[in-house]
Amino acid sequence: MSLKNIFEDWSRYRRGREEGGFQDYEFMWGMAIDLNKCIGCNACSIACYAENNLAVVGKERFSKGQAMHWLRLERYWDEPDLGEERVSNYQHLGASFVPMLCQQCNAATCEPVCPVAATYHTPDGLNAQVYNRCIGSRYCSNNCPYRLRYFNFYSYYEDSWPSPLHMQLNPDLSVRDKGVMEKCTFCVQRIRTGKDKAAREGRQVEDGDIQTACAQTCPTGAITFGDLLNIYNPASGNADSKTAQMWRKHQVELGKTKQNKQTPDLRGYRIFESLNTDPCIMFLERVREV
Amino acid sequence: MQTKDINEDIKWAQINKDVLRSMENPRIGYWIAIAVSLFLLSFAIGAEIYQYNVGMGPANLNWPHMWDLYIATFIFWIGMSHSGTLLSAILHIIQADWRKPIYRFAEAMTTFSLMTAGLFPIIHIGRLWNMYWVLPYFSDRGIWPNFRSPLVWDAFAITTYLTSSALFLFIGMIPDLAICRDNARGWRKQLYTLLSLGWRGDDRQWRNFRRTYMLMACFLIPLAVSVHSIVSSDFAMSIMPGWHVTTFPPYFVAGALYSGCAAIMTLFILLRYFFRFEAYMTMPIMVKTCKLTFAIAMVWTYLNLIEFSSIWYGHDEVAKELLLAKFTGPYSPYFWAMLFFGSVLPFTLAFEKIRNNIPALFVISLLLNVGMWLERWMIVTPTLSLSYHPFAFDVMWPSWVQWFIVLGSFGWFGLLFLVFVKIVPSVSMYEVKEMIFHRRHLANKDIASVMHRRESDRQSGTDAPAPGLEGA
Amino acid sequence: MKKYHLLGLFSNFDEAFTAISDIRHYKIPGVSVDDVTLISPIEHPEIEEILGDRGSHVPKFTLTGALFGCTAGFLFLASAQANFFVQPQGGKPVVPVPTNLVLSYEMLILFGVLSTLVGFLIGAQLLRKRKPLYSENVAIDQVGIEMEVEEKYIEPIKELFRQHQVLEIRDEVVK
Repeated sequence: MSLKNIFEDWSRYRRGREEGGFQDYEFMWGMAIDLNKCIGCNACSIACYAENNLAVVGKERFSKGQAMHWLRLERYWDEPDLGEERVSNYQHLGASFVPMLCQQCNAATCEPVCPVAATYHTPDGLNAQVYNRCIGSRYCSNNCPYRLRYFNFYSYYEDSWPSPLHMQLNPDLSVRDKGVMEKCTFCVQRIRTGKDKAAREGRQVEDGDIQTACAQTCPTGAITFGDLLNIYNPASGNADSKTAQMWRKHQVELGKTKQNKQTPDLRGYRIFESLNTDPCIMFLERVREV
Repeated sequence: MQTKDINEDIKWAQINKDVLRSMENPRIGYWIAIAVSLFLLSFAIGAEIYQYNVGMGPANLNWPHMWDLYIATFIFWIGMSHSGTLLSAILHIIQADWRKPIYRFAEAMTTFSLMTAGLFPIIHIGRLWNMYWVLPYFSDRGIWPNFRSPLVWDAFAITTYLTSSALFLFIGMIPDLAICRDNARGWRKQLYTLLSLGWRGDDRQWRNFRRTYMLMACFLIPLAVSVHSIVSSDFAMSIMPGWHVTTFPPYFVAGALYSGCAAIMTLFILLRYFFRFEAYMTMPIMVKTCKLTFAIAMVWTYLNLIEFSSIWYGHDEVAKELLLAKFTGPYSPYFWAMLFFGSVLPFTLAFEKIRNNIPALFVISLLLNVGMWLERWMIVTPTLSLSYHPFAFDVMWPSWVQWFIVLGSFGWFGLLFLVFVKIVPSVSMYEVKEMIFHRRHLANKDIASVMHRRESDRQSGTDAPAPGLEGA
Repeated sequence: MKKYHLLGLFSNFDEAFTAISDIRHYKIPGVSVDDVTLISPIEHPEIEEILGDRGSHVPKFTLTGALFGCTAGFLFLASAQANFFVQPQGGKPVVPVPTNLVLSYEMLILFGVLSTLVGFLIGAQLLRKRKPLYSENVAIDQVGIEMEVEEKYIEPIKELFRQHQVLEIRDEVVK
């Protein structure tokens, strides 16, 4: 309880946001998702289920809306006035797919409203959820504009993995009990493993060392995961990642609510960035025939 | 037909007798009321045990409807608690003495509503056994609650409000508890002796009492406003359309005063009938309460209209779509019912015939509260059903678990209130005496002039020394 | 000289008022109005005209408590936030002033109320055994004048009371 702590933390905050720097972050994990490449196959969603011990809740609970898909594929049908006379049943003309996962917002609206500080921002740029601390008030989920947080309405572990299916569970992370919020963590267990491995080998983390389950599984390579910090802090010592290059190419920047782009061909955008959530995922708009 | 707020000729001994009689051994009607309350409460206890064991799923809570009736009822009960503050503190400061016969049960209603409301944050969170983490305490890990969160502000505010209103109620009761002490025997005498803290009514005690009561009333008014503003900031501080509205603090406070006044009307009628308090809870006082309710209803209606018009005139498409959904979407029957009960029904209180008709007022006050409960529900659910993200559009209806717990909260409140009216006088005896005293003296000019003599007034025959001491 | 407690009960406030104003006007030399205590079923602020303004210390307690609550609340919150290693940020500062002001306001009121209660208990001298001369009729409608005087003044005071239609007089030696 010292004044020194108060002043130190205050200046850390000031350096972080106002100078547009994230200067003392280690990494800034981000993604680029190409909606042109996405075919809506749901492989990423299933990989997420497998990697993160997500429970399959069954048809009845799913239809009631109590499912646990951290990464969900959203389907939107195009409206007829795009040039079609009637809504097409065919995918290549009718549907759009958007894989939605936690955007790991730098100015996350879910973080300040948790009453027990169960969600916070890590120096990696991730929005962390601490299952042990969560008391299940569900305010964070209500405050997420993307509605990307999921709640354990039941103790799913009781029915979802009858023996011997429980052997498939990933030992690197926990199985959550009822009453706890959860969401996509950018496979933080893989990030930890990757960082530890690099530290043991005495080198920096390189691009491609760490892959999230969804990025690994996507058959078309629509999801790219990597470290964005190099864009903002070239002295950070992290190699320029593919993701950072894509962000730079599409002229999408962190810390802004509206991007200035030179040409409309640059397809990158962030969802709901006008709400000032500052998300770390860039979506590349689908190219359409006009 | 009563025409005056109170009959000035009531003997003070009669006041004591009438009010103490309400605390005697209860008759069959009271036991039936207790049985009904316990019955309702048992619903809630059963449903909560089920929910504790299985999880929040059976309540039909889902993604995106993470909050539902529990939060709505929580806000309803906190709102109802503003009645006591309004009647007691505000009317005390402006010296409206018609509050004197009715403020005791109103303050009790405040305290018990808060005790009921305080149960809901515990019930609605997923891991309620860890509820105490919301409170700031020194932990060996140096972990504190997140003070930025409006839910933690709720915890602070409700604790403060509950403590302050309970103390306000208790301190206001001390002279009455002294009267009870003087008239009790057995275990009751010991209880009242303890509770009345040695009150004997000397001027030193009255002087400090008056100062204390006024100070507490002055604290309680900004506290009530701030508590409900903080509760409204659960919504206003979020980002959701329909919630992130700047008029929410005054809107919630107005709604709270509204439902509190309607609840006062209901309890007024019940107490007046069952305890035969017609001489104290008179019709003119009821008429004043009705007028107050009507005025607050109009404030609430205005704040609703403001919210609708500013959304309608604005450029926020998401908020506009939500507003239209409230009026025409799946929840619209309840929304229109809320508007009817909240804005149209209070106009009946503008008619004098209805204001003096007790059965009509009983029904109207209950319906007004139904309207206010619907209002809380219509704040929580339509926003969550639409929110920002189109993929998250969903319509959800609460399940039996939620309804049972909501019903049971009324049983809990009823139980607390019923126990209260038998242990503590529900009409403030000393304040009624004060009311009569002041009205009698206002009416009688002679006594008034004798009483308020000043030093400089000289009257013949009073300057001579007292007999017996002339020689001393 | 022995000291006596004397209690005279009157049927209404006006008679007691005139009795006390007689004492104030030195009808009984040697007995000052400072020895007089009024015991009544309701409050009578108008008695201060003749008893004198004896004041009350409760507002001092209130002020101290409220100021303490506000400053201690803010400092407590700020230090807890500054030392909490995990900072839920959301782009918000570590020691957010609007948040802390809201909570300090609540603490101001809480401690103001609690200290008012403490001031009341101390100022009104509650939580003590009641003085022996207490009549239950005061709780109903009679007004009492209580005095602590030396023995020689008892008879004149009783006479004065009888002039003002006293209903009952009790006296007792101070132990």
